[in-house]
Amino acid sequence: MKKTAQNTNFRDLLKLKSIETRKGFKESFPEAHQFLLEKGIELGKLRQYSAKLISAGALTGTLLLSPPTGASSLPTPADIVHSLSETGDKDVNAIPQKEFIESLKNLLPKEVRPLARDEEKRLEMVVKNILNVNAKATLEGEHLNTIYGYIGAEQHLKRYPGDILESHGPYYKEGIAPGLGAWGYFSKSRADLNENLIETEKWYSVVQTLYLPDWNSRQPYLRDWYKYRKLLIVNTVNGNAVITALADSGPAAWTGKHFGGSPEVMEYLGGSRYKKGPVLVFFVDDPENKIKLGPVDYNDLSGKDLVQI
Amino acid sequence: MSIIFYDKLVVISSLDKKIKKLTESSEERQEMWQMVEEIIHHKVLGCCLDNLPHEHHSEFLDMFHKAPHDQNLLKYLNEKSKKDMKKIIKEEIKKLTKDLLLLDSNKV
Repeated sequence: MKKTAQNTNFRDLLKLKSIETRKGFKESFPEAHQFLLEKGIELGKLRQYSAKLISAGALTGTLLLSPPTGASSLPTPADIVHSLSETGDKDVNAIPQKEFIESLKNLLPKEVRPLARDEEKRLEMVVKNILNVNAKATLEGEHLNTIYGYIGAEQHLKRYPGDILESHGPYYKEGIAPGLGAWGYFSKSRADLNENLIETEKWYSVVQTLYLPDWNSRQPYLRDWYKYRKLLIVNTVNGNAVITALADSGPAAWTGKHFGGSPEVMEYLGGSRYKKGPVLVFFVDDPENKIKLGPVDYNDLSGKDLVQI
Repeated sequence: MSIIFYDKLVVISSLDKKIKKLTESSEERQEMWQMVEEIIHHKVLGCCLDNLPHEHHSEFLDMFHKAPHDQNLLKYLNEKSKKDMKKIIKEEIKKLTKDLLLLDSNKV
């Protein structure tokens, strides 16, 4: 890790500020400090602590102390199965993307938030039915803190030492990240870079593995499990969907975003001006590695009555 | 619902840009993110307790430890403090952002 005078200085000052803030809190609120200490809550790890509680609640069905906005209007699984089959029976000429957007609108809460397991299951069914992708909120026992959140635009990642922005066309606007992704360079050198790795960087995504409650305690397993893990990202507003490969950890929780997408991913999800928006993120169950990275084309209009479209 | 009840009030993107420019590895970046995270939690919780009458501290902390994500915490704070805590937390974060961005402005 190369340390420059500039970043060492800022890091040290940040560290100092962090110690001062902790000390200030302890002095101003000794009872609160003692309470948190007794409960075993470290404010530095508050997010992981909360995620653990939410995850346990989601599994036992006691996710919320108060119902989320719109939760009461969520349809039951039977309703969904019924509505899906009804759609299939009655409107054979429906444009899949339109149908998909409508289904998402019916299933998702008004505000972005972690979903309960039954909500996730219903969404998996819709994705499987319309996009024909075997998408899972939980795969091999692994689950993200949230699968419904905001995605933000990321920069290109350096694939090998000496990689430059100019070799990442056609999208140059976001630039190339000065630092490396969580798994370092994609290849040791330019010569080692193959088509697979080029596609991986092109369609890379970012999720907050750093806030997973068991991220530190289950190493190196989780690090390996998540590396280049295939993720389906769905823009819940327009229904655009893309298969990505996880290549970095982030963004920081205090940026107001939960996921990140490469310039190509963002361009496909929402166009050139798309910087942030609500998305769903699923693991792709693809044990034989048959599914290609990139856009999910599910608007097969062959056999449809084009006049009605 | 967010992971922490005040998550939606805490958005500091300018600082993230600075950290990304200064760091070369993911570990280094995450270490700085973590420090900022810790500062935020202490500041916001301190701000909540500062504005909440002392007799309600214990009840608030108990609710907080049971469900840090619960949006009712904000309602509770508003009710008991008789203040607009959303606005107050946002102000605190604004002040903190400025402080953090200027941290190394006096370097030689």
